Amino acid sequence: MFSRKECVAMLLAGGQGTRLGVLTQKVAKPAVPFGGKYRIIDFTLSNTINSGIDTIGVLTQYQPFELNQYIGNGQPWDLDRLNGGAFVLPPYQKAKSGEWYKGTANAIYQNIDFVDRYNPEYVLILSGDHIYKMDYSRMLAFHKLSNADCTIAVINVPIEEASRFGIMNTRPDGRIYEFEEKPKNPKSTKASMGIYIFTWEKLKKYLILDEEDKNSSNDFGKNIIPAMLEAGERMFAYEFSGYWKDVGTISSLWEANMDLLDASSEINLKNKDWKIYARNAAEPPHFIGEKASLINSVISEGANIDGKVENSIIFTGVTIEEGSRVTNSIIMPDAHIKKGAVVDHAIVGWNTVIGEGSVIGEPQDGPVGGEWKIAVMPPDTVFGSGTIVKAGEMAGGK
Amino acid sequence: MNNKMMSVLFASGNESKLNELTLHRTTASLPFGGRYRLIDFALSNLVNSNITRIGIITRNNYSSLMDHIRMGRDWDLNRKNSGIAVFPPFVLNTAREVYKGKIEAIYTILDFIKRAPEDYVVVSNCNVAANIDIVKVLNTHIEKKADVTVLCHKAKVNSSLRVVITENTEGFISDLHFEETPSEEDKLISLNIYVLRKDLLIEYVENAYSRGHVDFEKDILFKEVENGRLYAYKVEGYAAIVDDVKTYYAESMRLLERCVREELFGSEAKIYTKVKDSVPTVYGKNCKVTNSLIADGCVINGTVENSILFRNVRIQEGAVVKNSIIMEDGVVMENSTLAYAITDKNVTIRENRQISGFLTYPIVIVKNKVV
Repeated sequence: MFSRKECVAMLLAGGQGTRLGVLTQKVAKPAVPFGGKYRIIDFTLSNTINSGIDTIGVLTQYQPFELNQYIGNGQPWDLDRLNGGAFVLPPYQKAKSGEWYKGTANAIYQNIDFVDRYNPEYVLILSGDHIYKMDYSRMLAFHKLSNADCTIAVINVPIEEASRFGIMNTRPDGRIYEFEEKPKNPKSTKASMGIYIFTWEKLKKYLILDEEDKNSSNDFGKNIIPAMLEAGERMFAYEFSGYWKDVGTISSLWEANMDLLDASSEINLKNKDWKIYARNAAEPPHFIGEKASLINSVISEGANIDGKVENSIIFTGVTIEEGSRVTNSIIMPDAHIKKGAVVDHAIVGWNTVIGEGSVIGEPQDGPVGGEWKIAVMPPDTVFGSGTIVKAGEMAGGK
Repeated sequence: MNNKMMSVLFASGNESKLNELTLHRTTASLPFGGRYRLIDFALSNLVNSNITRIGIITRNNYSSLMDHIRMGRDWDLNRKNSGIAVFPPFVLNTAREVYKGKIEAIYTILDFIKRAPEDYVVVSNCNVAANIDIVKVLNTHIEKKADVTVLCHKAKVNSSLRVVITENTEGFISDLHFEETPSEEDKLISLNIYVLRKDLLIEYVENAYSRGHVDFEKDILFKEVENGRLYAYKVEGYAAIVDDVKTYYAESMRLLERCVREELFGSEAKIYTKVKDSVPTVYGKNCKVTNSLIADGCVINGTVENSILFRNVRIQEGAVVKNSIIMEDGVVMENSTLAYAITDKNVTIRENRQISGFLTYPIVIVKNKVV
């Protein structure tokens, strides 16, 4: 038998992340490398264990292989537990039917049995595509204190950006009276972070109701939340303040990486009380050669640097040869920048070779219309000498 | 015969010559190469050669070793049917004190060795940094029909006690003796790693113990030379025996050579160590770093040349570190200069200090000190 858990976390990691283009052609968005030695999902997994929640179902669907292998038995996050731990939950064949996850709510619906095994009071719904550090146990305490059926984490965004988010309109006590998806004229600046705590019995009821509705798109934001509001359930907004970034686009992924270079940024990974864990690559320390020069950069284990690196994030096992120059860029694991190549405002995918004298990306003064023009090189590809990729272009691969 | 191997490791040895560096630890847990401890090389070589039953014999100061190894998970040694067994100093009822030499030490764990199903055993010290395929060693051992295969490499004798090997034309050992005087030319030097049949080890040890012998090399191997079945297996590539401060410094600095790193870390046989979840290293706007090996978690704002920095080292603005080894959590504060120094874990060099040793006499600053 399984002993009871107060709260079980369910992490929605099935999204394709189409806006990341070549980077998510073969891996799901949560498995995309981030910050020198991490993957995007490490932040959510680490938050979960650091919040004292030790049972987590990771719902995968799109290109799950890499993610399944990465999570494994959950050991790097201390999630290899006798009772509880990390579980990868892909869609599976059931007695009567078998189908893909139709939407975020359907993914949880299909795993009601998994959650029920732990007979939890509460369920925490997370998504694996944000960079942030958050103590979910505080949110859970708020949920209990408010005697809520559903608590939605919100973050204050600038009013001019509010129309890009799902906005919660609340009363002074935090109770939500209205939810507007991407409103033209936002009434509040409280944007949903896509993090929900539900009282499990309530959620189960609404998941079953939602599944019966053939017209539903089985989505939390579009269906479950509006239905619960409609029915007058106790729904509260929990205000989070601190660093939180959606890394769903190339520009935002690049920006979030660059935030690590900004000492004043709130995303301080050095905090020993809230470590971000990752699966370790068993690489030796990195080596800085005689001719190398480094300014304001993050460098990870196993890298060999002989060129010039400025304002960049260099991942595990990267080689940067003599005479090359890497600025304002993200070089993902085991990529190789050959002699004389110039890389500026670019993301180079893992295992990719940039040939001698290539010019990837262009210098930029700032974002245009909120977006940086970042050149993107696909993973696992060899580019010959003299390859030229312009600002904002996504190279197609072989 | 099942041609499988188990291993017995000696965590201690030569502490006296490593002086301050082994004040609080065994040789096996001596930090080496920016993020490793010496035992990582022995453990990784064993695991990479499919040897998963490993007994580690400790003698003193073994708490840092226990903390490092834990259940052996970082080497994939948390196994159900084998794995790591750490033997704290064990006193036989018939003896009155902790073991004096390897023979006594092995004698105290004979039960562990006898119960194991493997036919062969690798007996090794933990003071060698090298990347060795032991499966190849065993194959040669079997092919040559050797009694004991002694792993060795070509190097100069330095001021530490070394076992020097003379081999005959077939590669069998015709002479073994100790040397302690520095030599000009390369000699064949034992790495104190042996492969032999388990039943033979048991026979050797029981015989020697009953005669009151203690020294594995002198009392067993030196005597076996005359039977002509000791084979000298030459380890190619980088292999470092670390047993005094001078060799510790010199062998560490060799890691700054690309080909040495390639030999030690470049193969598919990885060197594993305890995972600490440090963040990647951050280089500041005014740093100047050349020819250095730098682990994760450092914050570098000063100048670093020809040095090895372990995890979580901080080099502040205006600080200059040259030809030095700075272990975990070291801090060099503003405008201080450090040259030819080895600072142990958690050493702080305060502002405006000038500290310098010499190439042949690196200065050692002991653990947790504030200068």
